[in-house]
Amino acid sequence: MGSPGETIDLSIIVPVFNEQENVRPLFKKLDAVLQNLNRTYEVIFIDDGSRDETFRRLEELHARHAHLKIIKLRRNFGQTPAMAAGFDAARGEVIVTLDGDLQNDPADIPRLLERIEQGYEVVSGWRIHRRDAFITRILPSRMANWLIGRITGVRIHDYGCTLKAYRRSVIKNLHLYAEMHRFVPAMTTITGARVGELAVNHHPRIHGRSKYGISRIGKVILDLLTVKLLIRFSPNPGHWFGIFSLPFWIIGTFIGLWSVRMALRPHPEGFSIILPALGAVMLFTAFFLILLGLLGELVVKTGSYHIAQINRPVMKEN
Amino acid sequence: MREARSVYLSVVIPVSSEIGDLPEIYRRFSEQLERFGRRYEFIFVADGVDLQTFEVLEELQRRHDDVKIIKFNRVFGEAISLSAGFEIARGEIIITLASFMQTHPEDLPALLQEIEAGADMVIGWRHPRIDPVLNRWQSGVFNWITRRLTKFPLHDLNCSLRVIRRQVVSAIPIYGDQFRFLPILAHRQGFRVKELPVRHVEERGTTGLYGLGSYVRRLMDILTLFFLVKFTKKPLRFFGLIGSTLLGLGLIINLYLTAVRLLGQAIGDRPMLLLGVLLMVLGIQVVSIGLVGEIIIFAHAKKIKEYHIEKILE
Repeated sequence: MGSPGETIDLSIIVPVFNEQENVRPLFKKLDAVLQNLNRTYEVIFIDDGSRDETFRRLEELHARHAHLKIIKLRRNFGQTPAMAAGFDAARGEVIVTLDGDLQNDPADIPRLLERIEQGYEVVSGWRIHRRDAFITRILPSRMANWLIGRITGVRIHDYGCTLKAYRRSVIKNLHLYAEMHRFVPAMTTITGARVGELAVNHHPRIHGRSKYGISRIGKVILDLLTVKLLIRFSPNPGHWFGIFSLPFWIIGTFIGLWSVRMALRPHPEGFSIILPALGAVMLFTAFFLILLGLLGELVVKTGSYHIAQINRPVMKEN
Repeated sequence: MREARSVYLSVVIPVSSEIGDLPEIYRRFSEQLERFGRRYEFIFVADGVDLQTFEVLEELQRRHDDVKIIKFNRVFGEAISLSAGFEIARGEIIITLASFMQTHPEDLPALLQEIEAGADMVIGWRHPRIDPVLNRWQSGVFNWITRRLTKFPLHDLNCSLRVIRRQVVSAIPIYGDQFRFLPILAHRQGFRVKELPVRHVEERGTTGLYGLGSYVRRLMDILTLFFLVKFTKKPLRFFGLIGSTLLGLGLIINLYLTAVRLLGQAIGDRPMLLLGVLLMVLGIQVVSIGLVGEIIIFAHAKKIKEYHIEKILE
C-alpha cells in the first residue's frame, strides 16, 4: 500500500480492459491537466487482463513518465476487483477514479477537487448531457439511479458515472468485493460522509466497445439490498435474528397452548396431531433463529475489524 | 569457496507404508533431472511410515546428499505431506511424484519444457489407463463432474505427476483434500495451467470399490468446490435460491389450503398443512443461513482479495 507515512496529494485510478487505442491519449490528457495543478500526484492504470496491446502501450508510457504506476492483473477480474487493486495501492489524500475509454474528461478533475475542498468526502460526477443511446443506455440508467437512490437514501443523479473523487479516509475503510464499486457513495454515508455532485462532461466512445456496463439491473438491485442489509445489520446480528424469531415464538406458544387445551377436553374426538406438530415446528424455528443469531455474533464480535471500520464515523479534529 | 548454485527444482514425494519403490524412483527420475542440467533436491515426506520403509529412506539419504526427509510420527495424509514438502522446498519449480512408478520418468522433460515455455502449472493425464475398469470408470465420473462444474477441461485430477511454479503454491493455501483441485483454483486466479498426456506405468492401491466414506468425502469435495467456485463472494445467492424455492413451494401449498378453508372445508387435520408450513419454515431457515454466510464474508472482506496481481511497474 505504498510506503507508510508517505502520502501524496492526489491519486488517479483508471481500470482498463482492452483499451489499446485509448490509453495513450487518455494519459496525455491526464498529464496535461495534472501538471498544472500544483499538487503531488500519481496516476495508476490497472490492466484488468487485457488481451490486446494495452499493456505494451502502458509499458511504453511508463518508461517515459515518472508519475505513472501500472498494475497488471493475472487475468480479467472485473471492474470492482480492478478498482480495489487501485484503491489498495493508492497513496493520495484524495483519490479520483476515471473510465479508461475517454468517456470521462480529465479536464473535470480540477473542479472535482474544488468540490471536495468545499467540505465533501465524496464527489460523484453527473453526466448531464449523456452522449449515449437513449433507450438502451440512458433510460435504464435513469431508472436504476432512481431506484438505488430510493433504497439507499443517497439521491445521486448518476450512480453509473465512474468519474468520482474520494477522500482517502473513507476509501481506506472500505473493502470492496462483488459488485460493490457502484455503491461506494451510498456505503460511505453510513459514516456520515457527505456526498456531493458535480456536472461533468461526457464524450461518446470513439475507439473500441463498451466493456463495463450496467446491464444486469436485477442482480445489481439485489446486491444493493444485500449490502444495505449487511451494513445495517451485521454489527448486531443477534439482535436482528432475535427480533425475527419473535413471531415464531408467539405463534408457536399460542398453538401449543391451544393444543394443550384441546387435548385436555373431556371428549377429545377428532383431535389431530397436525396442530401440535405445527406448534412444535414454529418453536423449533424460533430456537434455530436464535442460535443462528448467536453464530452471527460469534463471527462479528471476535475481531471483525471490517465491520467496526466501516461503521466508523467520519471525524474531523478541530 | 565453492560457488553454490541455488536449487532450481524440488521434487516432493509423499511416502506411505504400504507402497514404495523409492530407490528406483530416485534413480530414474534423478537421471532425467540430471539431463535437464539444473540443481535439484528430492524431498521425501515419511507420512507415518514403518521402520523398514524409513530405513530405506535413510539409506538413500546417506548415499545422496540431495535427498531430504521430513518425518511425521503418525499418518497425516497426502495433502498435509505435500504442504510440508512445499514449505521446505527451496526450488523455483516444484515437482510432485508418487512413491511408486505411476508415470514414466521419460515423460517428465515434456512437462518441464511447458513450464519453461511459460506455463505456471502442468499436470499429467494418464492415458491410456491400465488400472481395472471399475477404477477407471469411477475416476472418469469424478473428473467429468468436475469438468462440467468448473468449465475447465481437465481429465485427471488424481494424477500425482505435477510440475508447479513456486508462486502458485504460495498464492493458494491448500486445505484438506482440496489439493486435488489445485489446478482449478490456480486457473481461477489467472495462472496458466496445462495438461499433458503421459504414459500410465503402474497403479497401486485399492482396486474396485472404495469405502463408503471415501465416496461421501469425494462428493462433499465436489459440492464444496462448486459452492466456492460459484458463490464465494455471495453465499446469499446460493442459499437464497434454495431457500426461496422452498419458501415458494410452501407458499403455493398454503395458498391452496387457504382457498380450501375459505370454501368451507376444515384443514386442521391435513398433513398437507404441515408440509406447507414445514417447507416455508425450512425456506426461511436456509435463507437465514445464507445471511450468516454473507456476514462472514463481509466481516472478513479485508482478507478477501478478489484480484491477483501479475506484476507492478512503480
